[in-house]
Amino acid sequence: MRTILLIGLVACGPVAGERTPAKPLPPLPSRATALHLDLEPVPAKIVTTSSTPTEDAASDKKSPVLDTLAAENTREIEVLKAQPEGARAYYLAHQVIETRVVSLEAEGGALTVDTDDTQRNLDTDVRIGSPALDNTHPISDDTNGLNSPYQRRGMIPFDDDKESLAHAVWLDTDRRYHEAVNALAYVRQDQATLSKHSKEPDFSAEPAEGYVEAPTKLEFDKALWIERLKRCSAKALRGSATRGTCGVVFQLNTSYFVNSEGSKVQQSWTNAQLSVSVGVKADDGMNLSRLEQRFGRTPADLPADAEVDKMISLVTTDLDALHDAPLADPYVGPAILEGRAAGVFFHEVFGHRVEGHRQKDVTGGQTFASYVGKDIAPEWLSVYDDPQIVTLNGIQLNGFYRFDDEGVRARHVPLIDHGKLVGFEMGRNPINGFPHSNGHGRKSAGYPPVARQGNLVVEASKTVERKQLEAMLIDQIKKQHRKFGMIFTDISGGFTNTTAFAPQAFKVNPVMAYRLYPDGKKELVRGIDISGTPLVALQSILAASREIESFNGVCGAESGWVPVSASAPSLLLEKLEVEKGFIPPDRAPILGAPSVRKP
Amino acid sequence: MKKLAVLCALLPAVPSLAKKPAPDPMGPASVAVTPQILDAIAEEMNRDMSQLEIPGAPKPYHISYKITEVDVNNVSASLGEPLARQNRHFVNLEVRVRVGSPDLDNSNFVVAEATEINGTATQNLPLEATPALAKRVAWLTTDAAYKEALIQLQAKLEARRAGSVRGSDAPSLAPTKPVVGEDPVLVPALESLDELEARVKTLSAVFRDHPELRDSRVAATSYVERRWYLTTEGTSVTDTRRASGIVMGAEGQADDGQLVHDYFLRYGHTAKDLPSDKDLEAEAKKLAESVKDLAKAPLFDHYSGPVLFEGEGAVGMVRATLAANLGGTPLPEGLNPQEAKQYGGALTEKVGLRVVAPLLSIVDDPTAKDADGKALIGGYRIDDEGVTAQKVEVVKDGMLKTLLTSRTPSAKGQVSNGHARVPGDGGAFRGSATNLFVMGRGGSSRRALEGQVVAMARAEGMKYGLVIRRFDDAAVTGAPEFTRRELFQMIKSTDQELPPPATLAYRVYPGGKEELVRGVQLAEVPMRSWKDVTAVSTEKTVYNFLAPFESQLQLRLTGGTEEEFVPSGGIEASIVTPDLLFKELDVSGSRAGVRPLPVVEKPGK
Repeated sequence: MRTILLIGLVACGPVAGERTPAKPLPPLPSRATALHLDLEPVPAKIVTTSSTPTEDAASDKKSPVLDTLAAENTREIEVLKAQPEGARAYYLAHQVIETRVVSLEAEGGALTVDTDDTQRNLDTDVRIGSPALDNTHPISDDTNGLNSPYQRRGMIPFDDDKESLAHAVWLDTDRRYHEAVNALAYVRQDQATLSKHSKEPDFSAEPAEGYVEAPTKLEFDKALWIERLKRCSAKALRGSATRGTCGVVFQLNTSYFVNSEGSKVQQSWTNAQLSVSVGVKADDGMNLSRLEQRFGRTPADLPADAEVDKMISLVTTDLDALHDAPLADPYVGPAILEGRAAGVFFHEVFGHRVEGHRQKDVTGGQTFASYVGKDIAPEWLSVYDDPQIVTLNGIQLNGFYRFDDEGVRARHVPLIDHGKLVGFEMGRNPINGFPHSNGHGRKSAGYPPVARQGNLVVEASKTVERKQLEAMLIDQIKKQHRKFGMIFTDISGGFTNTTAFAPQAFKVNPVMAYRLYPDGKKELVRGIDISGTPLVALQSILAASREIESFNGVCGAESGWVPVSASAPSLLLEKLEVEKGFIPPDRAPILGAPSVRKP
Repeated sequence: MKKLAVLCALLPAVPSLAKKPAPDPMGPASVAVTPQILDAIAEEMNRDMSQLEIPGAPKPYHISYKITEVDVNNVSASLGEPLARQNRHFVNLEVRVRVGSPDLDNSNFVVAEATEINGTATQNLPLEATPALAKRVAWLTTDAAYKEALIQLQAKLEARRAGSVRGSDAPSLAPTKPVVGEDPVLVPALESLDELEARVKTLSAVFRDHPELRDSRVAATSYVERRWYLTTEGTSVTDTRRASGIVMGAEGQADDGQLVHDYFLRYGHTAKDLPSDKDLEAEAKKLAESVKDLAKAPLFDHYSGPVLFEGEGAVGMVRATLAANLGGTPLPEGLNPQEAKQYGGALTEKVGLRVVAPLLSIVDDPTAKDADGKALIGGYRIDDEGVTAQKVEVVKDGMLKTLLTSRTPSAKGQVSNGHARVPGDGGAFRGSATNLFVMGRGGSSRRALEGQVVAMARAEGMKYGLVIRRFDDAAVTGAPEFTRRELFQMIKSTDQELPPPATLAYRVYPGGKEELVRGVQLAEVPMRSWKDVTAVSTEKTVYNFLAPFESQLQLRLTGGTEEEFVPSGGIEASIVTPDLLFKELDVSGSRAGVRPLPVVEKPGK
């Protein structure tokens, strides 16, 4: 089954192919032989505010939808668990997600998108067999994912009407139940023909949860926003840009989750996103674009006009510079990943590989499965994921949530502790040594949940000032006898292959990449990708800055799109590999831009 | 005296005028595409035509722009509660660039492994008139289309040289006179989302009284599609299409597990062309009963004999086995024969020959607005290539007179008769049916035909004759019931040449007794079977629908149009036909769609 992981607007993601036996992992360089630099014992500055999953409970605000779902869930499971062996359900969950999405976009001063849609989706998770082996167990030769649930939208009406809600739940459960019975038969057949198979169970035991959050409201002045976006996009269409757009997406989400273990969770939240984007085709046909986004909990959290003007100035200046920038050649050498670029780098290179379920996927590379307790990064570096963080250094983080999509409360998860791998992001799919969920089972409507990232945070206990990091890069350039080093300030996304079929490599797409020469001169270049293997990349980190930056985005993978963030200091790497990126065979427009005024 | 006479003449008319429903209030003209926008875009088109050139490569010899503005309201509901509610409003510019010459250009050729390269490009325009931006969009879109056209021409010439495609002596582009008509075509305003929601809630609530049903949905749509056509030949013309529709679908399950469906679907120019709310409620009840009857009906077995297609069954037969073959546009070069079948083409070499029974004549008339007092939605003033719509006599007394053509001719001298509607692989518009009238000579009553089909069947030694009254439409009934594994299997094993399964089919016995049967699947109906139509009815059925861009199999695989939502995508089409009695067709029983019976009883049952 092919899976693409995406962050921001660009693909990131493991993609599979045919299964081949996993190759032995490459040996890690030991700390004794790794290069060390003197760093000051001053930790990177991280100040967070958090909200625990059960804060702001408002049990008197419970929607009748939750009770209707629970009643039908109970009625269904009573019958389904009494079925004969092989068709007996042991678990049933229903989740209704109602989402209102408001999209407004303007280009060059004119409104181009104006939509306001509300959808209510029903997802049903029915498990047949037992937690030790059930219908969700991956089968060995299933490259097309034939044994996976067919992804489709579960329709369920709006409003609170019991009869129509119960009918929709019954119909979807009936469809999913028969699908699951069928899938278990294939799983058992597969198990009978395999010489070895995963011994870990398919489903973990978790406590029932009860939580009700009061329904929130989405408030914004539409006319005002349209005027702001028109003004913004008129300013953005300048310089070399042939496209200049400004847009917002506002969402109001209400989620109702019930399961046969007694969980009843109602959550309600809004989020808002502002984008400023410009683009142009370079003379050699390369599509150049520059995007700046800001996220907030509500529309009111989005930046004011003065900050938006700065975003416009940044993207248009960068685009003009990119338009004139030379194409770069392949390169191996020292490099700096600046804050947000470092965050995206960690999300891709590390974060996806410590999503728990990947450690037991027989077709997966299981990069970190055997490294628990072992050094994989410098001893001054730690990484954790914490969906409970609301703000980090005053920036709202996009990966905040209270309960995951399996009804488990979100938890802080240490992943690397002083260089040692100590944990994984877990949903309810257990792996060896990690029998329980830590509240990271996430998905978007219509997809089965898997372990996903929330707010990934990279900590450094020893740091240097950002300026000093650049001096250290120049030292490295000289030591390694390079003509220049590289600095990456913005990465749009990328992909990482986690299957055993293909090399366990990653590729990320830098938008703003500079050559730094020993004399301190910087030169912007374009047309390159960063590639490499995760274990080597992590061991290559030499130093971190004191300053932390946060990247907010939306990540796509096999369980759909989920909001995430990644916060990291700027990092100096001893070696990073850069290769030529794909440039489509095209050319700049043949004619110059049309005159706006008549002669 | 003169005045008095006029008054007297008017007086008797007053009462009948009073009974007529008030005309729908006209909606506004576009605020997104104004004369200033058209001027700006035309200016850019002319600049591109005169200046666009890559040294050493041919310049464009023809550029055409189609601007489309769509505003659509869609609402659906189940059991009295809304499922979805949505407005979509967008404007786009579609550019077609031709390089080469009218005798041989890039068009109507499929580039191997790059079917998307077809000399066309599309980009959105703003929702509000902004000439500078419109000009910029036209510039970039034309640039992209021109580059594609050059690649396509090179590939076409190379393929012809190598003999890998069979070239034709027919020109690539037929001449036509420029058309100018720039006054906006105003149409009635859309029904609001609130109006649509109120209707679908009321109608879908009818199904609450039928707990035997497995699923039911009601959806309504109201949309306007404004179009503007500009060409470098001087055409500058506008047209507007307006439609409203209501769709009701229900699903049941037979004791052996087979899922059964039926639906009710009506389209008109506005909601006033649709049945009244009271009539629609009656149709909803009838639909519920029909599905319950289907669930109890016996499974069909093999049959080879006369088949009578009545009402919507006759419409379905025309739609599935005849209409596609009336197009006269040559098949795209470079397309393999299996893919080419979707474009019909069974009659392209048969002009002047008998192709259907002598009692049948066929006319396609996009200028018709109604038939037998019922609205027809398949019409327009201007086709997709900016050519004025024309009424065409396709078949007279069984003889093929001509085909429905676009500006891509199949022979020298052939010109467009204003039927360019469907874009095909390779980028060319294809001539296709619009308001299709099938007419029969010497019709009998429906009842007499039923007697005739039984008599014909008896003469062949069979106990009953077969009557088909409705075919399945996967755009409406494509419920997502299958597993991923079953869907893959279906792709492998489904014969795409088959007509859709029959939804309402009856065994009719001597004496007139009727027996509803399920799982009825016609074998492939070749064009020559239409020579065996032995009788028609005097009654005619007028039916409007939206022809989806996807095949019936694709719709089945993807669960219908837009994830079970109301079908508001597709090309407006109308068919007017009598009942049709075919002498002999092969029909088999199908067990497709068998699912396990529910383990848990339906709530409230």
